[in-house]
Amino acid sequence: MERRDLHRLAVPLAVVGGIVALAAAAPLLPLADPVHIEVSARLTPPSEGHWLGQDEYGRDVLSRAIWGARASLAVSFLAAAIAGIAGTALGLLGGYFRGVVEILTVRSAEAVLCFPPLLLALLVVTLLGPGAGTLIVALSILYAPSYARVAYAETLAARNLDYVVAQEALGARSGRILLRTVLPNVAPPLLVQFSLTVASAMVLESGLSFLGLGVVPPEPSWGLMIRGARSTMDQAPWLLLWPCLALTGTIVALNMLCDALRDVLDPRGRTVSANPFRAFVSGLLPATEPAPAPPALLRVDGLHLAIGHGPGALPAVRDVSLAVAPGETLAVVGESGSGKTLTGLAILGLLPPVVRVTGGRILYTGRDGTTVDLARLGEPALRRLRGDELSMVFQDPSASLNPVHRVGDQVAETIRAHRDLSAAEARRRAVALLDRVGLPDAARRARAYPHELSGGQRQRAVIAAAIANGPRLLIADEPTTALDVTIQAQILELMAGLKAQAGGMGLIFVTHNLAVVSEIADRVVVMYVGEVVEEGPVAEVFGSPRHPYTAALVASVPEGDDDRLSAIPGVVPPLHDLPAGCRFAPRCGLAEPACTAGAPALESLGGGRSTRCRRWREVA
Amino acid sequence: MTSAADSCRTPLVEAEGVSRAFRARQGLLGRRRDILAVREVDLTVARREAVGVVGESGCGKSTLGRLLLHLLKPTAGTVRFDGRTLAEIGGDRLRTLRRRMQLIFQDPYGSLDPRRTVGDQIADGMLIHGLATPAEARERVAGLLSQVGLDPAHAARLPHEFSGGQRQRVAIARALATGPDFVVADEPVSALDVSIQAQVVNLLADLRESLGLALVFISHDLHVVRHLCDRVAVMYLGRVVETGPAAAIFAAPAHPYTRALLAATPSLVRRRDSSRAPLAGELPSPSDPPSGCGFRTRCPFATTACAEAVPPLEAFGGDGRQVACVRVAEIG
Repeated sequence: MERRDLHRLAVPLAVVGGIVALAAAAPLLPLADPVHIEVSARLTPPSEGHWLGQDEYGRDVLSRAIWGARASLAVSFLAAAIAGIAGTALGLLGGYFRGVVEILTVRSAEAVLCFPPLLLALLVVTLLGPGAGTLIVALSILYAPSYARVAYAETLAARNLDYVVAQEALGARSGRILLRTVLPNVAPPLLVQFSLTVASAMVLESGLSFLGLGVVPPEPSWGLMIRGARSTMDQAPWLLLWPCLALTGTIVALNMLCDALRDVLDPRGRTVSANPFRAFVSGLLPATEPAPAPPALLRVDGLHLAIGHGPGALPAVRDVSLAVAPGETLAVVGESGSGKTLTGLAILGLLPPVVRVTGGRILYTGRDGTTVDLARLGEPALRRLRGDELSMVFQDPSASLNPVHRVGDQVAETIRAHRDLSAAEARRRAVALLDRVGLPDAARRARAYPHELSGGQRQRAVIAAAIANGPRLLIADEPTTALDVTIQAQILELMAGLKAQAGGMGLIFVTHNLAVVSEIADRVVVMYVGEVVEEGPVAEVFGSPRHPYTAALVASVPEGDDDRLSAIPGVVPPLHDLPAGCRFAPRCGLAEPACTAGAPALESLGGGRSTRCRRWREVA
Repeated sequence: MTSAADSCRTPLVEAEGVSRAFRARQGLLGRRRDILAVREVDLTVARREAVGVVGESGCGKSTLGRLLLHLLKPTAGTVRFDGRTLAEIGGDRLRTLRRRMQLIFQDPYGSLDPRRTVGDQIADGMLIHGLATPAEARERVAGLLSQVGLDPAHAARLPHEFSGGQRQRVAIARALATGPDFVVADEPVSALDVSIQAQVVNLLADLRESLGLALVFISHDLHVVRHLCDRVAVMYLGRVVETGPAAAIFAAPAHPYTRALLAATPSLVRRRDSSRAPLAGELPSPSDPPSGCGFRTRCPFATTACAEAVPPLEAFGGDGRQVACVRVAEIG
């Protein structure tokens, strides 16, 4: 466990530890006798001798609160722990083995839930007699099924995960798989369950004690104190306050502890927190310079994007410039982490909250001929453009469609968001669009829900929605990556056909697949860790690359007849640890000392080509 | 049965007419029906041989991979490993046999337990099978990590500290830890970036060479398969439609589906041949397959004869190839 983790746990752990220590140390503390009755001092307010006052029998409230904690804490912790162990075991076994084992464990545990809690407790008390021990047994039986259900559901989800199957493939025994692999991964929700159970057990303990089924008066417990104080609420309201404070304080501290524990046990780190206010303000900042010559369609000038805020912000995209002319297809190609998707999202103003524009311009000339900077346009103006003049197709068609609405209605909705049309007219247009994107039997399919369509058909529906209002610029982010090759070929042909028909629609095609780029695009921008490294017409860039990274990417496509693929050595550097100078130098065969000394600038080579390499003349 | 090299040795893995059905309920109260994910597949893998299984999603290639390892039980047919029928071997003896057969998964994020160090996970197999004491295992983990091109000092790290390509190397190291002679790799490079794909494919090729592994490489990427495999089986709707030497199939695909698959695969060197339209339509539902040849609904060469009977895999050409198409000779 790292120091940072301990730091996170420190406060809640100290509070819970303090409460437990206080209760445990009750006999050692100089407290008044919690059961000593002094009727003459009945309902006395807090005083020097009795800091929290005296109750309806004149007993010291402070002393009773601390002694009472022993009973309340012991009962609720023990009951929650016993129920947790038993319930988790039942759930794990039932979820992992299914079948008969499931009936014997989870389903039979659920039968307990059919009994009213009080009836069940009465049954246990009749069998065992009253007392704290009985209470623990009753509460354990009561809470075990809820653990079993949580553990069961989590185990069901976990047992088909690859790393559980991997253990099976290794020949591990079921017991080992359950304890070493499944249990640690289903633990987080069980921890939450534990904190909820402890809290709820404390409350139930007070109720059962009142009925004489648990802690027996005059022994103190928080539940008994609340019950006692209730009858004298009018004369001494503070008496109600102390046990309630103790109860809620303990529960809150426990919840915090369990939450912190769950976070610490999750090894996948913490996320950067967003600052929506800062993002909002930066969106309002005016452009510092007057805009230069307006583009025919879109030009991105020196775009910088950062993830997070302050000194820890990661420069995800640096100085990216690109342009799309009407009717042109520009491919943005790069590996994961290259910033290609963020660049696409930035154009539409769809950046996630943690990412913000830190520099540059995104100049767009609209249908009405005016040029705006999309990077500084307010959200209402952007919303008017999105889905109308600018639209986007995402990688995963099932995530882009709302599962509870019919696809035809979703396309019609896009039209009505920007055009003043009747619902019937919009629906008629939607069917025509679905037909145009090649959805067979469009009139009937328009009434289908997304899950009733195949992946390829869903992507066609998403494209139909994207082109519904005749966009001037369509951004497609890996639109075929989730599809099979024969379906990918269909979608690529559809997009090429749509572009030819639409006349003048610009297309930005974001992808990692070089072969797809060479089939669909006119020009290509190659990105590497947030920078453009090469740009130019597709055939020229792939035919005779002028940057070692492009050359290496082309060579690593498994198409040649060589026995060995040529691989790029090393890994893409993480954003927080970018190499100085040329970012590709550590993996580059041509790197020389000068490459790591200073970052090369994007150099224009003429003919619409440019490269970010000092030694481009030597790139084979 | 398929190549000269097979007949002179006993194959390591032999699948004979294996089928696997999954039960599915249609709708909330609908009838239960069987979906046949794999239908009567014959496949042999010789020692040290690499066989590619190619097809699109839903063709049953992953199910076949798990059937070969007996991680799924076949509903018909038998799988033999080193001459022993896996279905007849029970409990402990099967677990012991698992030391010799391993699986590499597609998703390097899902296949590693996020809560345990990679060193512990690589050591698992050795400890389960009692191949090493914990101290020896630690030493071997270091050796395995450097064998797959990772820093041995990284054994104490958790999976999330590695990139996708590095995780796949860890998963390969875990599979190799027990010294298997048969490995099924289920789309092991599909989730990786192009440049990393090449690294991992090369690594698998090297390891196969140096360790003498028999490999079943499941993929939808024909180019990668051609690089790695001696022999290829092309699957469509649960059946093998064409099988034979990789070089021959890629040079001259015979089955209409193999042709369409190769034509649809985007290429860096050749622009799309506009005269060859992409395959129309979608994969039929495996729960309601067409009669006769499964591919006939999308096949440009289909005739009424194709609907009548399932075409058997028959020898075609002289190069050890088998094709399941009644018109293969005509359309050549």
